[in-house]
Amino acid sequence: MKIPPKKGLISFVADVILWNISGGIRYQLYLCILVAFMLTGVYAYSVQFNLGLSATGMNNIVSWGLYISNFTFLVGVAAAAVMLILPAYISKDKDFYKVVIIGELVAVGALVMCLTFILVDLGGPLRVWHMMPVVGLFNWPSSILAWDVIVLNGYLALNTLVPFYILYCHYNYKPANEKRYRPFVILSIFWAFAIHLVTAFLYQGLPARPFWNNPLMGPRFLASAFAAGPALIIMILVIINAKTTFKIEKQTFNKLRLIIVISSIINLIMLFSEVFKEFYFPTHHSLPAIYLFFGLEGHNSLVPWIWSAISMNVLGTLILAFNPGKNNPKVLFPASILLFMGIWIEKGMGLIVPGLIPSPMGEIVDYSPTWVEIWVTLGILSLGIFVVTVLIRPALIIEERYSTGK
Amino acid sequence: MKRCPFQRKLSLILILSFLIFFGCKEYSEHTGGVTVTMKEATAPFDDKEIVESIPRIPKNPVLVNTRYQGGFFWTETRHDKIERFRCSNCHNNNEAPIDKAAKVAHGNIVLVHGPENKPLKCFTCHNQDERDFLNTERGTKIEMDHSYQMCGQCHFRQKRDWVGGAHGKRISYWAGKRTVMNCASCHDPHSPKFAKKWPKTYSLALSD
Amino acid sequence: MDSRENKKDLIQKRNTHQDEKLCGRREFLKGAVKAAALGGSMMMTGCGTSLTGSKEEFVLEWKEYFKGNYRLMTQEERDETVRRMERLAKLKMGADVKISSRGPRKQVLYGYAFNISRCKGYMDCVAACVKENNLDRKSKTQYIRIFEKEHGNMNVTSGNGKYFHEVPAENHFYMGVQCFHCENAPCIKACPIKATWREPDGIVVVDYNWCIGCRYCMAACPYWGRRFNWNKPEVPLKDLTRKQHYLGNRMRTKGVMEKCTFCVQRTREGKMPACAEACPTGSRVFGNLLDPKSEIRYVLKNKKVFRMKEDLGTDPKYWYFMD
Ligand code: SF4
Ligand code: SF4
Repeated sequence: MKIPPKKGLISFVADVILWNISGGIRYQLYLCILVAFMLTGVYAYSVQFNLGLSATGMNNIVSWGLYISNFTFLVGVAAAAVMLILPAYISKDKDFYKVVIIGELVAVGALVMCLTFILVDLGGPLRVWHMMPVVGLFNWPSSILAWDVIVLNGYLALNTLVPFYILYCHYNYKPANEKRYRPFVILSIFWAFAIHLVTAFLYQGLPARPFWNNPLMGPRFLASAFAAGPALIIMILVIINAKTTFKIEKQTFNKLRLIIVISSIINLIMLFSEVFKEFYFPTHHSLPAIYLFFGLEGHNSLVPWIWSAISMNVLGTLILAFNPGKNNPKVLFPASILLFMGIWIEKGMGLIVPGLIPSPMGEIVDYSPTWVEIWVTLGILSLGIFVVTVLIRPALIIEERYSTGK
Repeated sequence: MKRCPFQRKLSLILILSFLIFFGCKEYSEHTGGVTVTMKEATAPFDDKEIVESIPRIPKNPVLVNTRYQGGFFWTETRHDKIERFRCSNCHNNNEAPIDKAAKVAHGNIVLVHGPENKPLKCFTCHNQDERDFLNTERGTKIEMDHSYQMCGQCHFRQKRDWVGGAHGKRISYWAGKRTVMNCASCHDPHSPKFAKKWPKTYSLALSD
Repeated sequence: MDSRENKKDLIQKRNTHQDEKLCGRREFLKGAVKAAALGGSMMMTGCGTSLTGSKEEFVLEWKEYFKGNYRLMTQEERDETVRRMERLAKLKMGADVKISSRGPRKQVLYGYAFNISRCKGYMDCVAACVKENNLDRKSKTQYIRIFEKEHGNMNVTSGNGKYFHEVPAENHFYMGVQCFHCENAPCIKACPIKATWREPDGIVVVDYNWCIGCRYCMAACPYWGRRFNWNKPEVPLKDLTRKQHYLGNRMRTKGVMEKCTFCVQRTREGKMPACAEACPTGSRVFGNLLDPKSEIRYVLKNKKVFRMKEDLGTDPKYWYFMD
């Protein structure tokens, strides 16, 4: 080692910050745009904070909207890191080992977004301390939402700790001690399934809502998450590949692609099974599905969305399955975007909103988010992208330094 | 992974599944719900506990001459609701000046009661000889306060429900001395059917 | 005559209500320009009331903010918070309210029965409920919905809850729906922080100060029994019902869940709930399920009753019956 390694936590943090503010002008501009979006989001949230949730498009019938939709979807993205962790740490796959840290950091970003979405959705955000241990009161174990809070925070902790430990070791030019982090990795694998299943159970456990009260919900959540999450990681890897010196092998892309294709096909089969159940012999429990796919009594705001989502889903899957570009990033990238967006719509708005329509008393309203809601959502999404970016950039630098030994 | 990894794992799985099984069983056992709770409630509710906080509201309640499942009960008096009671003040075979009579006679009464082909008439219910009283089909004299007995002649089902509590209303308090409204408190005895009217308020049309 | 005036009044009110939209795009953009300068400081104005009010108000608010869950409070703590709230109501609205923290009575389990062959859809109950429970007049919150259904159809979702014409309409019957105070309530199970629970007398209540407004209970309720305060609830001072209960009709803040409490402030004093008292047709029967003498027990024993969506196993304490 030629350069004497700097040690210590302080210099680690300082370097991380330094690396982030010392990018090229393009990079800085990109961060500034994200910050601008975040600030707009903060403003929009302040409007909502003052007016109450009446500033959103939600009402007593559609009581969850854009926020919870995005939350649900992003939990899936967070959980999908396990698709890299599993092969990388357990079966010691070299290709995945190289990018696993990216997967974990994406999970961190997704979780930050999830928790922020929950926070902005609350009617009394100042009272969140009621949820904290000791001072608060938890409805444990009967409330699935209480479980969800615990698993989400736990997963966030796990996914921060492991990469942090590895990066910190590498920063000091030391190999990370596998014995130390391996138990956490194994835990985080189970935990990833848990956050997803628990989030699915959140909806699945409500007999009041026949659209959600469906045993396929949990497995389908997993399948769609394992398609959407790796699709996002492909997108990020393509960008990293093009914009940085960190190069990613074709082999990695191919393996990710296979994971996506398999999950996505399973997801589509389950979707078909659900659709069959709803439409072969429609009962009045099928009303939400009818509302979603065809509209009810003239209310059809979700119809164009769901059909475009399904077409995007199918198209993306087909492209990825037949792989016309032979893992060429130029083909993979748009296909992943298609699939990602398709699942986003289908598992976000397409899942949450129709679950609430018609109301248990049969009343139908349309839901459309207000500008406040949209801006807050955009703000949170850019917060997530921001977090992912500022985490990945130093991570890559550290990894590169470590592997070249400079 | 030392000596016999499988045995350990297997026993772990077994223990887990037992836990889950019994957990679920425990969880799904029903107590039978509120109907059973109701049946099993033995210690009777002490009415006095409520009475202490209750002012006796109706001023001079009338003791109903039938019992309900809880014993005696009372109903609202009719006397102070009838304008110009006692009827015998006018209906007394004395001569009345015609202008006064026109003013106080019952021209405003609309009688829509009974089957269309055989509507009720004044003296179906009112006692012709003693105007302060009502008169049953059998010719028994009934006080205005006990008019429920009149109604009960035909509407015996409703009366049964009224006595028990499925028809009519209790006045203000759900326990303590039971005082209920009289039939005529809600139904105009001359045209007992409820009128069509605009509702008091409306529900917000959420979907508009 | 009375009816016709009522009608005009109603129509007018209904129409003015149609075009109140809170946050249009235009306003939002206008606001955004203004806020460029203000930035994040706007956030603070949310807690403005406590910052700009008097010192006493601030201290009271502070104590209120850090108090615990009502269910875990001792009676002294309950009395204290009730006193603080009464004082705050005086300071903020200038209203002399009386808030009770009376507990449940022994040997009481409240139950309710609704006569679907008697109800004529007059909605006196709804109006009385709004008045008694200080429901938000701005968003027109109502706990009770009356559904107009055509004969020949008992399907719960087939009713029209927005009828606006003279009642009763030919060939229709009316069915009132509110919180059913389920014995096995999915809403209680759902709440992550025990902000909603079943009192020993069977009433399902919400601690408005503990609820964080996640609305999971709302999604869990199969009867649409819960209402959320999307905006700050407003009740004109002259219409305020001043006899209040901590768990009942005291003023809510924005962002919390509320629901029918069987008028806990009345029923625990021995009175009928406001809806049952207001009903001009006697379709509403209320009483103590544990008391074999009570009217509700008579109904359950002598009438053919049913409950809504009984298959869900929620075990509601609200029955429907016919003559
Ligand atoms: S009706 Fe709804 S709100 Fe009321 S107790 Fe039952 S589940 Fe809860
Ligand atoms: S809205 Fe309030 S009462 Fe309902 S589940 Fe959330 S915290 Fe509990």
